[in-house]
Parts: sequence; structure tokens; C-alpha cells
Amino acid sequence: MKLMVKLHGTLRQHFPDYQPSQGIEVEIPQGATVKDLLKCLNIADSHRPVIIVNGLVLKEEDQIPDGTAVDVFQSLQGG
Amino acid sequence: MQFIRVNMTDKSILVEDVPQDYTGLGGRGLTSILVNAEVPPTCDPLGPENKLVFAPGFLTGTPLVNTSRISVGAKSPLTGGIKESNAGGGIGAALGRLGITAIIIEGKPAEGDLSLIYVNGKGDVTLVPAQEYQGMRTYALVEKLLAVYGEKNSVMCIGPAGEFQLASASIQSTDVDGRPCRAAGRGGMGAVMGAKGLKALVVDRTGKNPDTIADQKAFMEITKYIVEAVKADHMSGEVMPALGTAGLVAPVNAMGAFPCYNATKGQLEGWEKISGETMAEIIKERGGNTTHRGCDQCMIHCSNEYVDKDGKFITSSLEYETIWATGGMTGIADLDVIARLDNLCDDIGLDTMNTGVAVAVAMDAGYREFGDADAAVEMIEEIAKGTEFGRVLGSGPAAVGEHFNHHRVPAVKRQSIAAYDPRGMLGHGVTYATSPMGADHTAGNLVGAYLENKLDPLDPEDQIDTSRFLQIAMAAFDNTGQCFMANVALLDPEGLSTFQKILEAKLGVKLGEDYFPFELGTRILKAEKEFNKNAGLTELDDRLPKFFYEEPLPPHNKVFSISDADIDSALDL
Repeated sequence: MKLMVKLHGTLRQHFPDYQPSQGIEVEIPQGATVKDLLKCLNIADSHRPVIIVNGLVLKEEDQIPDGTAVDVFQSLQGG
Repeated sequence: MQFIRVNMTDKSILVEDVPQDYTGLGGRGLTSILVNAEVPPTCDPLGPENKLVFAPGFLTGTPLVNTSRISVGAKSPLTGGIKESNAGGGIGAALGRLGITAIIIEGKPAEGDLSLIYVNGKGDVTLVPAQEYQGMRTYALVEKLLAVYGEKNSVMCIGPAGEFQLASASIQSTDVDGRPCRAAGRGGMGAVMGAKGLKALVVDRTGKNPDTIADQKAFMEITKYIVEAVKADHMSGEVMPALGTAGLVAPVNAMGAFPCYNATKGQLEGWEKISGETMAEIIKERGGNTTHRGCDQCMIHCSNEYVDKDGKFITSSLEYETIWATGGMTGIADLDVIARLDNLCDDIGLDTMNTGVAVAVAMDAGYREFGDADAAVEMIEEIAKGTEFGRVLGSGPAAVGEHFNHHRVPAVKRQSIAAYDPRGMLGHGVTYATSPMGADHTAGNLVGAYLENKLDPLDPEDQIDTSRFLQIAMAAFDNTGQCFMANVALLDPEGLSTFQKILEAKLGVKLGEDYFPFELGTRILKAEKEFNKNAGLTELDDRLPKFFYEEPLPPHNKVFSISDADIDSALDL
């Protein structure tokens, strides 16, 4: 399936042609997990990527919901 | 290792060696334990019995990077309990390099009397008449003070709000570029300073007499470890220098826990317009600075310099909590307005959080429309003018709620909540309710645990234990003067035990296995709780406002759901 991915934090710095208003289009298999998507985007764990859909933080093994735009954030501590 | 006691009643200055009981204490540990020991808990916070304590952290002034924070403590005119509020900039390290453990302001001068304290490069302290600076805003004041005392000084000062002794008054601290843009904002410490008739504290930054480090070699070796840990951490080493704390706008909105329109919604429409990513783009386009060193000895550079369309400085540093309070809560999704409001608060000497939320409560009560930027500016200007409404607004959101008889006041112990709604992040509700400081953004912040999937923000399970651990850890870190951004790189067991070793290297003693953070953090929290209890605060003060239990927050449409009994167990230490 094709989906639009928006990148936040410093993640977009790794994609030189990234357009914040559009995001990037990626194609992943139906049923692909968070881990699969991050691998496809080549985003390393060290950047602490976080995918939040409908207000919920997905786990590594959660499937990416079909047909949705996906936002990838970075984990941060607050203070 | 000196206490400097400045008595504002008789203008005497007493220098004394630090008593044995205070060994190993600095920052919040020192201010809280001293206030608990010396301030009558039922005293008038704005009266002569209260004491205002300025204390650099235990490691401030040492070669360890990222340790330049200074704590300011007293009984709070906002919460009625104990208060510690800390700030970055240059003055903490300046005092540390002079071997000054604390400056303690006591007594109260005659009505209208105004002074400043000057500490020269040898550590000599003088009290100087400051009548000529009466009523001045902080930027103009600091410009004058640095012209008189020289550029190599750091300043902490109050603006008109502090002189009016308003409960949202901050103490502003100069950054390394000499601008009063950093703040000990919370709990009305500026009002206590105003009540003491103290306009400013000016400290020479060239001191060369820091406390002795017992084991210099070990200290420097551990410093290298900490430097590497901070560099390697994705937050302190990567995101903070690029976006600063504003990087939190995006994920907290995505989680639906960004309280906006006075905590009636959990996602701000158009939040992308005020995100850290957008802020960084705007600053870069206009020739400002996204990666700025605001504090002495800082290697993280989370600060920024926000400029207008002509490249002219507006404010530094635009931070997450300020963007939320003056933008999210008021419905003003415009970074140029938010930057102006931040600068206005700094200049008048106001806590941006308490003030932004106070404006939001007034808007929610129908005084002005949400999103009305001109009204927000006008309202805050009224505080500086000292009008009747300005005095209400400058007293914080609870005072505004009382003025308009409006029920929705997002505050605990009269201090505004921070940028995490307790209905979307339950653990923040635990911290807001139980921190001896009142609702607080640093005392025990769980957002990292939620983003890293260690904890479900909407499930009551484990919120109490996580809040307790973080409250203890933060109390211990706040003792040291190390910046929060560096603390987060050391929150794992290895980081914490290494950090204990640097305390041992400075002291030259072996500390107990559980000293850092547990014994130290617990000691500090116990002193704070004891003070609050003796001041008359009870379990009923450890409660969130009723609306958090009754009004569901979109988009999750949840209410706060942790029981009072569980809340009361959180800091049963």
C-alpha cells in the first residue's frame, strides 16, 4: 500500500528534498508494522522515532493502519 | 563555601561558613532545606519573616558542563507553600566560581525603599541604593546595570510585576549575551524579591575562587563520561540544538494532550503553525539563531534567538511551555505574537506560564475572544501599568477565575498547570496534584515515558510509581545545578550511578549506595512536604480542579481517573 509520511523533529533532515507541507510517499506491504515502515524509511532506532495514529503511540509490532497518512515524531523528555 | 546573609531591615551583611548540615547541598536541596529550617511556615510570604534564597547548584561553578542553574527559594505568595524555581543564564556559575553557596535575603525595608546587591570578582558583597531604577522594565534595567558595572557581570532582577509584588512575578536572569530572557518564573519569587525591596542582584563573572574539588582527577574523568553521554543522547545531542524544547509541540498535539483554549481541547487547530519545526524554519529564513548558547558552560545549545521579518531580535529563548501558555491556551496560533508576548513577560518580569494561562482563563470567561492577539498584549500591558485588572491578571489564573466567577481554572495550589493535560496524560495529573511546588512542568514529567511506550498515558496503571520516581530524581538533580536537558541523558541506572560518583569526587567521600537520587531526592521532598504541612496545606490541596474529573477532553474524551487515595500515596515517602 502507498501512504504519505510526514516527518517531525530532526528526522526530515535526513531527506534532503523533503517538503513539510507534503511529506513523502512510501510503498509498504499490506499489514506492514511500525518496525517495517521505519526500516523502509531507513530511520535508525537511535533517533527514537515514534509513530502516533489517532492520538495513540504505536508499538513496534503494531500494524500501520491502511490508507492513513502517518506522522513520525521523535521521543522527547519534557521539562 | 559561604552563606551571605543580607538583612534588608538594617542593611547589614553577614558572611558565614556553611554549617555542616548543609554539606552536599546546593540548588533546590539547599533552598528547600534552609527555608524549612528558618522560615516560619505560617508567615506572610511578603513580610519580613520570609527569606529569599539564591543558591547555585552543588556542581555549579565546577568544570562540569551544563551545570549553571541557580535555584531561588522562599515561601511562595502564589501557593502559600514552599517554592523553588530555577533559572539558567550566567549568574549561577558566577556565584559558584566565587565559592558562594547561597545569598539569603532576610527582613524587610521601609516602604518604597529599593536596593541592589553587587558582588564583585573577589566575592565582596555590597548593598547599593537603587531608587533610580524604580519601575524599570528588565531589558532597560539590565542595559543600565551592565553599563554601570561592566559587561562581565550577570544579573538577576525584577520588573514592574515584582515591584507590585504580584504572585506571577518572576525573577529574570541574564543569558550569556546579557539579556534578561531567562527566568526563575514560577511561584512568585519576583514578588518576594519586590517585598524585600531588592531590584537586582549583580554578580561579577570573573571570580576564580570556587569550592575545592576533593578528587580532581576522578571529577574530570567522570566529566568526560557525562559529556559523551549528553552528546550521544538523541534529545540533548540532536533535537534540542535543532528545535529546542519547542520540539514537543508536535508529539504532544499528536497525542491529544496539548491543553488549549483554556484546557477545553487537547489538540490545537493549526498546531503546525507554532511547532518547533516551523519555528526553526522561520528563524533560519529571517537570519536568527536556532542553536544558541543561553547558559554558561552549556554544550547543548537548546536556546534560540527569534527575530522579526527584518531580522530584529524579538526574544530568546522561545520555549515549549511559553508557546503553549501564550499560544495554545489563548488560541493564538501565531509565533510572531507568541514571541512578542514572551518578550513582554520577560520585560515586565512575569512567569509566562501563569500569565498565559491567566489570559486564557479571562478569555474563557468571556472577557475577550480566544485568538485575539491585540487583547492578549493589552491585558499583559495592564499588569505593567498596575491597573486594577492588571493586578488581578498578574496574580495568576486562580485570581482571574475568582474575579470572573469562572470555574475552569487549570491550576493546582493556585499555580497553573503545564503543557500536558492530565486527562490525556494521567501521570502529569499525579505530579501536578502532589508536587510540593504546585502544578509543575519539571518536577516529574512523564511525557518521555509515554512517547517511548513504557507507559500508557490513558491507563491509571503505574502512573503513581512513575511520577514518584521522577519527582525524587528531579529533586535530586535540581540539587546539583545540572540542566534538565543533560539530566535526561543520565536517567538510566548507569547514568545515575556515574552521576553519584561525580558528587563523591567533589566531596571526597563515599556516599551510600542509594544516595543519588533516592536518599537525596527523598530528603528534599520530605523537607518541602513538612513545610507545606506546617504552613497549613492539607491533602485537599493535593487535588486537581474539579473540571478535570467532569469535563472530557477531546480527542480522547477522557476525564482524569486516578483516585484520591492513589494520589495521596504518590509522595508518601
